[in-house]
Amino acid sequence: MRIEYINPFIEAAFDILNEVLQTNVKRNELYLKKLGDSMKGVAVVIGVTGNVSGRIVFDMTEDTALNIASKMNGEKFTKFDDMVRSTIGELANMVTGRSVTRLEKENLSFNFTPPTIITGENIHIYEFSDMEALIIPIDTGLGIVEINIAFKEN
Amino acid sequence: MAIIFDENGLPTGRKVEGGHVRVLIVDDSQFVIKHLTQIFMSRDFEIAGTAENGKAGLELFKSMKGQIDLVTLDITMPEMDGIETLKAIRELDPNVTVVMITALGTVESVKEAIKLGAKGYIVKPIDREKVIERIGQILK
Repeated sequence: MRIEYINPFIEAAFDILNEVLQTNVKRNELYLKKLGDSMKGVAVVIGVTGNVSGRIVFDMTEDTALNIASKMNGEKFTKFDDMVRSTIGELANMVTGRSVTRLEKENLSFNFTPPTIITGENIHIYEFSDMEALIIPIDTGLGIVEINIAFKEN
Repeated sequence: MAIIFDENGLPTGRKVEGGHVRVLIVDDSQFVIKHLTQIFMSRDFEIAGTAENGKAGLELFKSMKGQIDLVTLDITMPEMDGIETLKAIRELDPNVTVVMITALGTVESVKEAIKLGAKGYIVKPIDREKVIERIGQILK
């Protein structure tokens, strides 16, 4: 996986989280994960086509999702309801939207599907290819959001 | 449509001829609808209606034809996207002010929307100051 495909997402996620949360957002060390490893509880999945095929997953615990939604809405949420789902989906949209601008600057063309939110304990996401996922953990100050990227060059 | 600007040069939702600017918000995100509603209301705009997809937005627009001054349209939406909705709205009322709201900062969709008559666009994230400033520039 070429780094120029990944960097726009890392930078976009870091910038957007900083802008909307205004917490002390920190980037932790990247690592690789085998596909099929379990997710944390709330997974926002966005399909990607264009120069690459694959998907991005924003992976977080339900508590982190509730903390982020509470901060973004200025009100306390204790249940994973429609407004929390909408907020988390919108956050993922903002990150992909920002990364498009950065990808275009690199003359790369990516298309994205609207976000799908999957929730539950012990979720596994499998793909039928030999990809490995690159994980970018971001410490938002309200919990860890892992950006899980698996792309295959076309 | 001429609106009143406050002493800081920021737009209010009050029209020079009297009455409030009536806004229709069309966006598939409840989060965005909620935040735009709060921002517009804090500046004295009147929310005429909200819809979560282009088709529902168009129906609302038709039912309130002539009573809407400003429409905010998300570009990526289910049922009917922002570009299709823009075309249909402009056919019904070529004078209405339409502002595109988008996360996808892609040049092509914005260019197309402007060509089709959108007066401007706002790139997410929705930020209070940014929205007010842009709406002021668009309505000037």
